[in-house]
Amino acid sequence: MNGRDLALDVRAMRARMYVRVVGSLCEPAWLIGDAVLPNLGMCAFVLLYRALGAPRSFETLAVLGGILSTYWINVLWGMGAQLYWEKQQGQLQLYFVAPCSRMAILTGMAVGGVLMTTLRSVIGIAVGIWIFHIRVAPVGLAELFGIFLVTMSALYALGMTFSSLFLLYGREAWHVCNALTEPMYFLSGMYFPIRALGALGAVAAAVIPLGLGVDAMRQALLGSGAHGLIPLRLEVVALAAFTMLFLWLARVSLAHLELLAKREGRLTQRWQ
Amino acid sequence: MRAAIARLRSAAWLGWQIDTNWADPFLFIVYSLLRPIATGLILAGMYWAVSSRVPARGMFTALYLGNAFHNFVTQVVIGMGWIVLEEREEYETLKYVFTSPLGLPMCLAGRSVVKLAIAMFGVVVVMAVGWFALHLTWDWREVRWPELSLALALGVVATVSVGFLVAGLGLLLPRPAIQINEGLAVALYLMCGVIFPIDLLPAWLQSIALALPFTLWYEALRRFLLGHGASARISHWSDATLLGALALSTLAFVAIGRLGYFALETRARRLGRLDQTTLF
Repeated sequence: MNGRDLALDVRAMRARMYVRVVGSLCEPAWLIGDAVLPNLGMCAFVLLYRALGAPRSFETLAVLGGILSTYWINVLWGMGAQLYWEKQQGQLQLYFVAPCSRMAILTGMAVGGVLMTTLRSVIGIAVGIWIFHIRVAPVGLAELFGIFLVTMSALYALGMTFSSLFLLYGREAWHVCNALTEPMYFLSGMYFPIRALGALGAVAAAVIPLGLGVDAMRQALLGSGAHGLIPLRLEVVALAAFTMLFLWLARVSLAHLELLAKREGRLTQRWQ
Repeated sequence: MRAAIARLRSAAWLGWQIDTNWADPFLFIVYSLLRPIATGLILAGMYWAVSSRVPARGMFTALYLGNAFHNFVTQVVIGMGWIVLEEREEYETLKYVFTSPLGLPMCLAGRSVVKLAIAMFGVVVVMAVGWFALHLTWDWREVRWPELSLALALGVVATVSVGFLVAGLGLLLPRPAIQINEGLAVALYLMCGVIFPIDLLPAWLQSIALALPFTLWYEALRRFLLGHGASARISHWSDATLLGALALSTLAFVAIGRLGYFALETRARRLGRLDQTTLF
């Protein structure tokens, strides 16, 4: 890749990021929906712990899970299913005639997605602090930001891989996204310490970055109250490895599935 | 009457084809069951995490049961909202449904039958997972079948009625329709005390929750199946009071659903929103 290509890709990335940020801000109903709705579910899970008489630290676990679930929803629907939406809107072909790399477009989408989801997650943090009075351990902001960054990198790299898979899918994309919501919350211990799943939790964490990411963020914020799965440092290393793996997978599968979709004539096929 | 049944059957068959023709039946069943089972397992995970410190199996069984039956709301109420969205936005066929001899209300009714059947299957499977895998059991001899059957029937009627209202909202408000569907699903999950007793809600929210048929429905199902409910506030009510309140709330929502749907449909026609696509 020469300097000119790189400059083009950076511009494409910025352009796609701009669309994601401005597009989200232009649609207040989506903003409210994405910011408020996941928190209602989170409130229900906090109240379940309260109904069971669990220690307060578990309520904090559920609040953190609720906040992080907004990122997973964005990864699935905003990254994974994005190319499916584009196909339904009849503009997927524009992505493929553009002179820039598809990875640059997906990266822009991911960065814009993280920014907007972080903005929305402020509501969840506010609910946690002012309504449920959650407490977190004093933690270094730089350390927390680093863990957050590596977690998001792994999750959005996975989202890029999903988006390449969904090039081939029609309505299955919708159902796959639905199937990857609650089952992933369970396997990742989104609302409870993943350790509670025993061996199943360990296996799930080894293949799904969401579980490790949630556990790492909890360990950073709650210390021993997080009931962590493995030491935090190991989790960060594993998340970084997941990022590299999924970025490579996304690149390879995007190229392969683009070819396959073209060959089978599915790239512009709507209403499948 | 016979003609209406035939149309309902046609609508149900059409609904089944639309809902399932993207996959083979086995795959469709797997996808339909994954979500309700996983939600139940999340609750189980939360319970496992705290059960050594706070054993509350009786309470947890009651809450798990509420979550299982909430599948009706997720599938039918929200599903009916999605029917309008899909027909208008994705397939762009809503106007043809309107002009067909079937008509949209009958189409919605027929398709709701399919969704009810899928929901019922999901409830049975989630309860079976609870019984066999999570050991959330109850005494079958204690089950009060007549009251349970009545409560179940009332809840199903309420579910379809609220579904019509959501479909009507989808007709009138094309752009925020997705948010309305998804928002209602989680709002009802919180408001109706599906996985916690409504006693934990603020007092003003409790009053609203008690007016909703689903709150009373879950409590009635728990009481007549397990022998006890989850809410201390409702536990003082006699069986007759609980069933009476459920019947009253259901009747009110039948009226609201019917009047509301036709009012919203008329308004949507007047504003030219029936074929207004905003997404795809």
